[in-house]
Amino acid sequence: MHKFRLLLISLALLPGLLPAQSFNSLLGDESILHAQTKQVNQFFRRFNAEESTSGDRYFPGDKDYRNSDLRKRYLGILFDNQNASITDPLKLSFIEDVMRPAQPHFLDFHGGQWFTEVLTEFTYMGKKTPVTIYMKLEEENQGYKWVITNVYLSSFHEMFHNLGKDDQRFLHPMSHELDFMNLVRVFKDKAYVEQYTASDYHPDYLTLFLYEFKKGNLVFNTVKDVKFHFFQVPGWYFELSEFNRPGTNAGWLISGLMKINDNDKELLLKYLYHE
Amino acid sequence: MMKIKAFFLILAFSAIGSQLAAQDVLSPSRKQAIDSLALEKVRDLSKYISIIGNKDTPWSEANRVIERTLELFADGAMMGVSSINREEVNYYGVREYLERLMALNYDRVNIQWYNIQYISDLERQPDGKYVGVITIYQRFEGVTKEGLKYVDVTKKDVTVYVERKTTQISGRIIGFWDVMLGDIRVTETKPGN
Repeated sequence: MHKFRLLLISLALLPGLLPAQSFNSLLGDESILHAQTKQVNQFFRRFNAEESTSGDRYFPGDKDYRNSDLRKRYLGILFDNQNASITDPLKLSFIEDVMRPAQPHFLDFHGGQWFTEVLTEFTYMGKKTPVTIYMKLEEENQGYKWVITNVYLSSFHEMFHNLGKDDQRFLHPMSHELDFMNLVRVFKDKAYVEQYTASDYHPDYLTLFLYEFKKGNLVFNTVKDVKFHFFQVPGWYFELSEFNRPGTNAGWLISGLMKINDNDKELLLKYLYHE
Repeated sequence: MMKIKAFFLILAFSAIGSQLAAQDVLSPSRKQAIDSLALEKVRDLSKYISIIGNKDTPWSEANRVIERTLELFADGAMMGVSSINREEVNYYGVREYLERLMALNYDRVNIQWYNIQYISDLERQPDGKYVGVITIYQRFEGVTKEGLKYVDVTKKDVTVYVERKTTQISGRIIGFWDVMLGDIRVTETKPGN
Protein backbone atom coordinates (compact mmCIF):
# COMPACT_ATOMS: atom_id res chain seq x y z
CA MET A 1 0.00 0.00 0.00
CA HIS A 2 2.81 2.34 1.00
CA LYS A 3 4.71 1.58 -2.22
CA PHE A 4 1.56 2.13 -4.23
CA ARG A 5 1.10 5.55 -2.67
CA LEU A 6 4.73 6.46 -3.37
CA LEU A 7 4.25 5.48 -6.98
CA LEU A 8 1.20 7.68 -7.25
CA ILE A 9 2.98 10.62 -5.69
CA SER A 10 5.89 10.11 -8.03
CA LEU A 11 3.44 10.31 -10.91
CA ALA A 12 2.16 13.59 -9.51
CA LEU A 13 5.67 14.92 -9.76
CA LEU A 14 5.76 14.41 -13.49
CA PRO A 15 4.02 17.57 -14.71
CA GLY A 16 1.97 17.18 -17.81
CA LEU A 17 1.83 13.44 -17.62
CA LEU A 18 -1.68 13.34 -16.26
CA PRO A 19 -4.24 16.12 -16.26
CA ALA A 20 -5.49 17.09 -12.79
CA GLN A 21 -9.03 15.83 -13.48
CA SER A 22 -8.03 12.28 -14.25
CA PHE A 23 -5.60 12.38 -11.35
CA ASN A 24 -8.44 13.23 -8.95
CA SER A 25 -10.83 10.61 -10.22
CA LEU A 26 -8.16 7.91 -10.21
CA LEU A 27 -6.61 8.47 -6.85
CA GLY A 28 -9.03 10.23 -4.58
CA ASP A 29 -8.40 12.93 -2.01
CA GLU A 30 -5.56 11.57 0.05
CA SER A 31 -3.04 11.39 -2.79
CA ILE A 32 -3.95 14.93 -3.79
CA LEU A 33 -3.16 16.08 -0.26
CA HIS A 34 0.18 14.31 -0.48
CA ALA A 35 1.01 16.14 -3.69
CA GLN A 36 0.03 19.61 -2.41
CA THR A 37 2.76 21.73 -0.84
CA LYS A 38 1.25 21.82 2.63
CA GLN A 39 3.65 24.11 4.49
CA VAL A 40 6.14 26.84 3.61
CA ASN A 41 8.63 24.48 5.24
CA GLN A 42 7.72 21.87 2.63
CA PHE A 43 8.17 24.46 -0.13
CA PHE A 44 11.76 24.99 1.10
CA ARG A 45 12.41 21.25 1.26
CA ARG A 46 10.93 20.55 -2.15
CA PHE A 47 12.71 23.52 -3.72
CA ASN A 48 16.00 22.13 -2.40
CA ALA A 49 15.08 18.43 -2.85
CA GLU A 50 15.52 17.76 0.84
CA GLU A 51 12.61 15.39 1.32
CA SER A 52 11.31 12.18 -0.20
CA THR A 53 8.09 12.05 -2.19
CA SER A 54 6.39 10.74 0.94
CA GLY A 55 7.50 13.83 2.87
CA ASP A 56 10.33 12.30 4.90
CA ARG A 57 13.19 14.68 5.58
CA TYR A 58 16.54 14.06 3.89
CA PHE A 59 19.58 15.17 5.83
CA PRO A 60 23.09 15.98 4.51
CA GLY A 61 24.77 12.65 3.84
CA ASP A 62 21.54 10.88 2.82
CA LYS A 63 21.76 9.34 -0.67
CA ASP A 64 19.05 11.49 -2.24
CA TYR A 65 19.73 14.71 -0.34
CA ARG A 66 19.48 17.51 -2.94
CA ASN A 67 19.37 14.91 -5.74
CA SER A 68 19.19 16.84 -9.05
CA ASP A 69 16.65 14.57 -10.75
CA LEU A 70 14.32 14.78 -7.80
CA ARG A 71 14.91 18.51 -7.57
CA LYS A 72 14.05 19.08 -11.21
CA ARG A 73 10.76 17.24 -10.75
CA TYR A 74 9.96 19.13 -7.56
CA LEU A 75 10.77 22.53 -9.07
CA GLY A 76 8.35 21.77 -11.89
CA ILE A 77 5.39 21.47 -9.52
CA LEU A 78 6.11 24.49 -7.36
CA PHE A 79 4.52 27.08 -9.65
CA ASP A 80 0.93 28.31 -9.81
CA ASN A 81 -0.10 26.78 -13.14
CA GLN A 82 -3.04 29.14 -13.48
CA ASN A 83 -0.82 32.22 -13.60
CA ALA A 84 -0.33 33.14 -17.26
CA SER A 85 2.43 35.63 -16.44
CA ILE A 86 4.69 32.77 -15.36
CA THR A 87 5.42 31.52 -18.86
CA ASP A 88 7.09 28.20 -19.59
CA PRO A 89 10.31 29.82 -20.95
CA LEU A 90 10.54 32.03 -17.84
CA LYS A 91 9.96 29.04 -15.56
CA LEU A 92 12.53 27.00 -17.46
CA SER A 93 15.11 29.76 -17.32
CA PHE A 94 14.60 30.04 -13.54
CA ILE A 95 14.90 26.29 -13.02
CA GLU A 96 18.05 26.18 -15.16
CA ASP A 97 19.55 29.01 -13.11
CA VAL A 98 18.84 27.46 -9.71
CA MET A 99 20.06 24.06 -10.90
CA ARG A 100 23.22 25.27 -12.64
CA PRO A 101 25.65 22.39 -11.94
CA ALA A 102 28.62 24.68 -11.28
CA GLN A 103 26.68 26.86 -8.86
CA PRO A 104 23.23 25.63 -7.86
CA HIS A 105 21.13 27.91 -5.68
CA PHE A 106 19.24 26.61 -2.68
CA LEU A 107 16.81 28.36 -0.38
CA ASP A 108 18.01 28.95 3.16
CA PHE A 109 15.40 29.51 5.87
CA HIS A 110 17.93 31.49 7.92
CA GLY A 111 19.62 33.12 4.93
CA GLY A 112 17.72 36.43 4.92
CA GLN A 113 16.73 38.04 1.62
CA TRP A 114 13.12 36.97 2.09
CA PHE A 115 10.26 38.46 4.05
CA THR A 116 6.55 38.13 4.57
CA GLU A 117 3.64 40.42 3.79
CA VAL A 118 0.63 39.76 6.00
CA LEU A 119 -2.69 41.37 5.15
CA THR A 120 -4.61 42.00 8.35
CA GLU A 121 -7.71 43.84 9.38
CA PHE A 122 -7.80 46.34 12.21
CA THR A 123 -10.50 48.66 13.42
CA TYR A 124 -9.05 52.16 13.10
CA MET A 125 -11.00 55.00 14.62
CA GLY A 126 -14.07 52.74 14.66
CA LYS A 127 -13.77 51.70 11.00
CA LYS A 128 -12.60 48.33 9.60
CA THR A 129 -9.26 49.05 7.94
CA PRO A 130 -6.82 46.81 6.05
CA VAL A 131 -3.27 46.95 7.38
CA THR A 132 -0.33 45.24 5.68
CA ILE A 133 2.35 44.07 8.09
CA TYR A 134 5.83 43.25 6.76
CA MET A 135 8.02 40.90 8.78
CA LYS A 136 11.40 39.21 8.57
CA LEU A 137 13.19 36.53 10.55
CA GLU A 138 15.65 37.84 13.11
CA GLU A 139 18.22 35.90 15.09
CA GLU A 140 18.31 36.19 18.88
CA ASN A 141 20.04 33.96 21.44
CA GLN A 142 20.82 31.35 18.77
CA GLY A 143 17.11 31.16 18.00
CA TYR A 144 14.89 32.97 15.53
CA LYS A 145 11.73 35.04 15.62
CA TRP A 146 9.58 36.98 13.14
CA VAL A 147 9.84 40.73 13.68
CA ILE A 148 7.78 43.57 12.22
CA THR A 149 9.83 45.74 9.88
CA ASN A 150 7.19 47.94 8.29
CA VAL A 151 3.47 48.51 7.92
CA TYR A 152 1.21 49.89 5.22
CA LEU A 153 -1.99 51.64 6.12
CA SER A 154 -3.40 53.74 3.29
CA SER A 155 -4.61 56.57 5.52
CA PHE A 156 -1.07 57.02 6.91
CA HIS A 157 0.31 57.34 3.40
CA GLU A 158 -2.46 59.72 2.37
CA MET A 159 -1.54 61.86 5.37
CA PHE A 160 1.91 62.41 3.87
CA HIS A 161 0.91 62.58 0.24
CA ASN A 162 2.34 66.09 -0.23
CA LEU A 163 5.82 64.97 0.73
CA GLY A 164 8.36 65.52 -2.03
CA LYS A 165 6.00 67.52 -4.20
CA ASP A 166 7.47 70.70 -5.66
CA ASP A 167 5.95 73.59 -3.89
CA GLN A 168 6.73 77.08 -2.80
CA ARG A 169 6.18 76.37 0.87
CA PHE A 170 9.32 76.86 2.95
CA LEU A 171 10.73 78.89 5.83
CA HIS A 172 12.90 81.55 4.23
CA PRO A 173 16.60 81.55 5.18
CA MET A 174 16.37 84.67 7.33
CA SER A 175 13.55 83.39 9.50
CA HIS A 176 15.91 83.09 12.45
CA GLU A 177 16.24 86.84 12.61
CA LEU A 178 12.52 87.02 13.32
CA ASP A 179 12.67 84.41 16.06
CA PHE A 180 10.92 82.07 13.63
CA MET A 181 7.70 83.97 14.09
CA ASN A 182 6.65 82.63 10.67
CA LEU A 183 6.26 79.12 12.12
CA VAL A 184 2.68 80.18 12.56
CA ARG A 185 2.34 79.80 8.78
CA VAL A 186 3.86 76.28 8.86
CA PHE A 187 1.29 75.00 11.32
CA LYS A 188 -1.66 76.79 9.84
CA ASP A 189 -2.51 74.07 7.33
CA LYS A 190 -2.37 70.33 8.17
CA ALA A 191 -2.17 69.30 4.52
CA TYR A 192 1.23 70.83 3.81
CA VAL A 193 3.19 70.67 7.05
CA GLU A 194 5.44 67.84 5.76
CA GLN A 195 6.79 70.16 3.05
CA TYR A 196 8.70 72.06 5.72
CA THR A 197 10.77 68.98 6.65
CA ALA A 198 14.31 68.14 5.47
CA SER A 199 14.73 66.56 2.06
CA ASP A 200 15.91 63.26 3.61
CA TYR A 201 12.90 63.00 5.89
CA HIS A 202 10.85 59.81 5.55
CA PRO A 203 7.79 59.21 7.69
CA ASP A 204 8.21 56.22 9.98
CA TYR A 205 4.89 54.48 9.47
CA LEU A 206 5.72 51.69 11.89
CA THR A 207 6.18 54.17 14.76
CA LEU A 208 2.98 55.90 13.75
CA PHE A 209 1.20 52.54 13.72
CA LEU A 210 2.52 51.57 17.16
CA TYR A 211 1.61 54.99 18.53
CA GLU A 212 -1.96 54.71 17.26
CA PHE A 213 -2.21 51.17 18.61
CA LYS A 214 -0.95 52.21 22.04
CA LYS A 215 -3.38 55.13 22.07
CA GLY A 216 -6.17 52.59 21.55
CA ASN A 217 -7.13 53.94 18.13
CA LEU A 218 -6.15 50.69 16.35
CA VAL A 219 -7.66 47.36 17.41
CA PHE A 220 -6.58 44.08 15.79
CA ASN A 221 -9.34 41.99 14.20
CA THR A 222 -7.92 39.24 12.04
CA VAL A 223 -5.40 37.95 9.51
CA LYS A 224 -6.73 37.78 5.95
CA ASP A 225 -3.84 36.74 3.72
CA VAL A 226 -0.15 35.86 3.85
CA LYS A 227 2.48 35.89 1.14
CA PHE A 228 6.27 35.81 0.97
CA HIS A 229 8.79 37.67 -1.17
CA PHE A 230 12.06 35.95 -2.03
CA PHE A 231 15.26 37.59 -3.25
CA GLN A 232 17.55 34.69 -2.32
CA VAL A 233 18.20 33.49 -5.87
CA PRO A 234 20.64 35.95 -7.50
CA GLY A 235 19.05 37.74 -10.47
CA TRP A 236 15.53 36.60 -9.57
CA TYR A 237 12.54 37.59 -7.48
CA PHE A 238 9.63 35.34 -6.73
CA GLU A 239 6.47 35.58 -4.68
CA LEU A 240 5.07 32.65 -2.69
CA SER A 241 1.32 32.40 -1.97
CA GLU A 242 -1.03 29.75 -0.66
CA PHE A 243 -3.68 28.37 -3.02
CA ASN A 244 -6.57 26.68 -1.26
CA ARG A 245 -8.21 24.93 -4.19
CA PRO A 246 -8.96 21.44 -5.42
CA GLY A 247 -6.33 19.44 -7.28
CA THR A 248 -2.63 18.87 -6.97
CA ASN A 249 -1.54 22.37 -8.05
CA ALA A 250 -2.44 23.79 -4.65
CA GLY A 251 -0.87 24.78 -1.35
CA TRP A 252 2.21 27.01 -1.24
CA LEU A 253 3.23 27.84 -4.82
CA ILE A 254 5.27 30.45 -6.68
CA SER A 255 2.67 33.06 -7.62
CA GLY A 256 4.99 35.59 -9.27
CA LEU A 257 8.38 35.33 -10.95
CA MET A 258 10.66 38.05 -12.31
CA LYS A 259 14.20 38.32 -13.61
CA ILE A 260 15.71 41.35 -11.88
CA ASN A 261 18.97 43.26 -11.58
CA ASP A 262 20.05 45.28 -8.53
CA ASN A 263 18.32 48.47 -9.72
CA ASP A 264 15.09 46.58 -10.36
CA LYS A 265 15.34 45.10 -6.90
CA GLU A 266 15.37 48.51 -5.24
CA LEU A 267 12.40 49.62 -7.32
CA LEU A 268 10.52 46.41 -6.64
CA LEU A 269 11.11 46.68 -2.90
CA LYS A 270 9.73 50.24 -2.98
CA TYR A 271 6.72 48.96 -4.86
CA LEU A 272 6.15 46.12 -2.40
CA TYR A 273 6.39 48.53 0.53
CA HIS A 274 4.03 51.02 -1.20
CA GLU A 275 6.76 53.68 -1.04
CA MET B 1 -1.81 4.92 32.32
CA MET B 2 -0.82 8.37 31.14
CA LYS B 3 1.75 8.65 33.94
CA ILE B 4 3.22 5.25 33.13
CA LYS B 5 3.55 6.28 29.48
CA ALA B 6 5.22 9.55 30.49
CA PHE B 7 7.62 7.65 32.74
CA PHE B 8 8.71 5.38 29.90
CA LEU B 9 9.09 8.36 27.58
CA ILE B 10 11.30 10.00 30.14
CA LEU B 11 13.46 6.91 30.37
CA ALA B 12 13.58 6.57 26.60
CA PHE B 13 14.74 10.11 26.20
CA SER B 14 17.17 10.02 29.08
CA ALA B 15 18.91 7.19 27.22
CA ILE B 16 19.14 9.36 24.14
CA GLY B 17 20.14 12.34 26.25
CA SER B 18 22.98 10.59 28.03
CA GLN B 19 24.67 9.78 24.74
CA LEU B 20 25.28 13.37 23.85
CA ALA B 21 26.97 16.09 25.78
CA ALA B 22 25.35 18.98 23.95
CA GLN B 23 21.89 18.42 25.38
CA ASP B 24 19.97 21.02 23.46
CA VAL B 25 21.33 20.43 19.98
CA LEU B 26 18.98 18.42 17.78
CA SER B 27 20.75 15.81 15.67
CA PRO B 28 18.72 14.17 12.86
CA SER B 29 18.22 10.99 14.93
CA ARG B 30 17.11 12.96 17.96
CA LYS B 31 14.81 15.04 15.79
CA GLN B 32 13.21 11.85 14.50
CA ALA B 33 12.67 10.64 18.06
CA ILE B 34 11.09 13.96 19.01
CA ASP B 35 8.98 13.94 15.83
CA SER B 36 7.55 10.56 16.90
CA LEU B 37 6.75 11.90 20.34
CA ALA B 38 5.10 15.00 18.85
CA LEU B 39 3.17 12.90 16.39
CA GLU B 40 1.91 10.74 19.23
CA LYS B 41 0.53 13.85 20.95
CA VAL B 42 -1.15 14.95 17.73
CA ARG B 43 -2.65 11.47 17.33
CA ASP B 44 -3.95 11.70 20.89
CA LEU B 45 -5.50 15.04 19.97
CA SER B 46 -7.12 13.53 16.86
CA LYS B 47 -8.51 10.66 18.90
CA TYR B 48 -9.89 12.98 21.58
CA ILE B 49 -11.52 15.27 19.00
CA SER B 50 -13.26 12.26 17.45
CA ILE B 51 -14.55 11.18 20.88
CA ILE B 52 -15.71 14.68 21.86
CA GLY B 53 -17.49 15.20 18.54
CA ASN B 54 -19.17 11.79 18.57
CA LYS B 55 -22.85 12.10 19.53
CA ASP B 56 -22.75 8.64 21.14
CA THR B 57 -20.20 9.83 23.71
CA PRO B 58 -21.93 10.49 27.06
CA TRP B 59 -21.77 14.13 28.19
CA SER B 60 -19.69 13.32 31.30
CA GLU B 61 -17.21 11.26 29.27
CA ALA B 62 -16.87 14.03 26.66
CA ASN B 63 -16.13 16.52 29.45
CA ARG B 64 -13.51 14.19 30.89
CA VAL B 65 -11.88 13.89 27.47
CA ILE B 66 -11.91 17.68 27.08
CA GLU B 67 -9.89 17.92 30.32
CA ARG B 68 -7.52 15.26 28.99
CA THR B 69 -7.18 17.15 25.70
CA LEU B 70 -6.34 20.39 27.46
CA GLU B 71 -3.43 18.63 29.18
CA LEU B 72 -1.78 18.30 25.76
CA PHE B 73 -1.66 22.07 25.26
CA ALA B 74 0.56 24.85 26.49
CA ASP B 75 -1.24 27.61 28.41
CA GLY B 76 -3.06 30.15 26.28
CA ALA B 77 -3.13 28.06 23.10
CA MET B 78 -5.71 29.19 20.56
CA MET B 79 -7.55 27.79 17.58
CA GLY B 80 -7.67 30.08 14.52
CA VAL B 81 -10.49 29.00 12.23
CA SER B 82 -11.38 30.09 8.70
CA SER B 83 -13.53 28.63 5.93
CA ILE B 84 -13.47 28.72 2.16
CA ASN B 85 -16.17 31.40 2.07
CA ARG B 86 -14.73 33.44 4.94
CA GLU B 87 -11.08 34.35 4.60
CA GLU B 88 -10.67 36.00 8.00
CA VAL B 89 -9.52 33.96 10.98
CA ASN B 90 -11.86 33.54 13.97
CA TYR B 91 -10.09 32.88 17.25
CA TYR B 92 -11.21 30.46 19.97
CA GLY B 93 -9.59 29.18 23.14
CA VAL B 94 -8.99 25.40 22.97
CA ARG B 95 -11.63 24.69 25.64
CA GLU B 96 -14.17 26.89 23.86
CA TYR B 97 -13.44 25.16 20.54
CA LEU B 98 -13.87 21.69 22.07
CA GLU B 99 -17.04 22.68 23.91
CA ARG B 100 -18.49 24.07 20.68
CA LEU B 101 -17.58 20.79 18.96
CA MET B 102 -19.35 18.84 21.71
CA ALA B 103 -22.46 21.02 21.44
CA LEU B 104 -22.83 20.92 17.64
CA ASN B 105 -26.45 20.53 16.69
CA TYR B 106 -26.29 17.32 14.67
CA ASP B 107 -27.96 14.03 15.25
CA ARG B 108 -24.93 12.10 14.05
CA VAL B 109 -21.32 13.21 13.70
CA ASN B 110 -18.55 11.25 12.05
CA ILE B 111 -14.99 12.58 12.30
CA GLN B 112 -12.30 10.83 10.29
CA TRP B 113 -8.63 11.60 9.89
CA TYR B 114 -6.72 11.25 6.65
CA ASN B 115 -3.76 8.95 6.82
CA ILE B 116 -1.42 11.84 6.16
CA GLN B 117 0.66 14.09 8.32
CA TYR B 118 3.40 16.53 7.46
CA ILE B 119 6.04 17.34 10.04
CA SER B 120 8.07 20.52 9.67
CA ASP B 121 11.61 21.12 10.84
CA LEU B 122 12.03 22.12 14.46
CA GLU B 123 13.27 25.69 14.75
CA ARG B 124 14.88 27.11 17.85
CA GLN B 125 13.19 30.13 19.42
CA PRO B 126 15.02 32.90 21.29
CA ASP B 127 13.91 31.34 24.64
CA GLY B 128 15.69 28.06 23.80
CA LYS B 129 12.55 26.03 23.13
CA TYR B 130 12.06 24.44 19.73
CA VAL B 131 8.95 24.93 17.67
CA GLY B 132 7.54 23.00 14.74
CA VAL B 133 4.25 22.49 12.94
CA ILE B 134 2.48 19.22 12.19
CA THR B 135 -0.18 19.34 9.49
CA ILE B 136 -3.08 16.88 9.57
CA TYR B 137 -6.37 16.64 7.70
CA GLN B 138 -9.81 15.90 9.11
CA ARG B 139 -13.07 14.99 7.42
CA PHE B 140 -16.17 16.02 9.36
CA GLU B 141 -19.63 14.75 8.58
CA GLY B 142 -22.69 15.89 10.48
CA VAL B 143 -26.23 14.71 9.83
CA THR B 144 -29.25 16.56 11.21
CA LYS B 145 -32.45 14.93 12.52
CA GLU B 146 -34.03 15.81 9.19
CA GLY B 147 -31.30 13.88 7.38
CA LEU B 148 -29.47 16.94 6.02
CA LYS B 149 -25.78 16.22 5.67
CA TYR B 150 -22.94 18.71 6.20
CA VAL B 151 -19.44 17.65 5.17
CA ASP B 152 -16.16 19.54 5.37
CA VAL B 153 -12.47 18.76 5.13
CA THR B 154 -10.18 20.86 7.29
CA LYS B 155 -6.43 21.23 7.33
CA LYS B 156 -5.12 21.54 10.85
CA ASP B 157 -1.67 23.07 11.32
CA VAL B 158 -0.71 22.19 14.88
CA THR B 159 2.09 24.06 16.66
CA VAL B 160 4.42 21.80 18.62
CA TYR B 161 6.76 23.12 21.31
CA VAL B 162 9.71 21.00 22.37
CA GLU B 163 11.60 21.83 25.49
CA ARG B 164 14.54 20.25 27.26
CA LYS B 165 13.61 19.52 30.88
CA THR B 166 15.07 17.59 33.77
CA THR B 167 13.54 15.45 36.45
CA GLN B 168 14.88 13.55 39.43
CA ILE B 169 14.36 9.80 39.64
CA SER B 170 15.93 7.89 42.55
CA GLY B 171 18.31 10.75 43.20
CA ARG B 172 19.50 10.89 39.60
CA ILE B 173 18.85 13.94 37.47
CA ILE B 174 17.56 12.81 34.13
CA GLY B 175 17.02 14.98 31.09
CA PHE B 176 14.14 14.56 28.70
CA TRP B 177 12.40 16.39 25.89
CA ASP B 178 8.90 17.55 26.73
CA VAL B 179 6.41 18.15 23.94
CA MET B 180 3.42 20.47 24.26
CA LEU B 181 0.90 21.49 21.64
CA GLY B 182 0.29 25.18 20.90
CA ASP B 183 -1.90 27.22 18.59
CA ILE B 184 -3.79 25.39 15.86
CA ARG B 185 -4.73 26.96 12.54
CA VAL B 186 -7.84 25.33 11.10
CA THR B 187 -8.49 25.95 7.40
CA GLU B 188 -11.34 24.52 5.40
CA THR B 189 -9.97 22.93 2.27
CA LYS B 190 -11.22 21.15 -0.82
CA PRO B 191 -8.74 18.44 -1.77
CA GLY B 192 -10.75 16.97 -4.65
CA ASN B 193 -13.17 18.20 -7.26
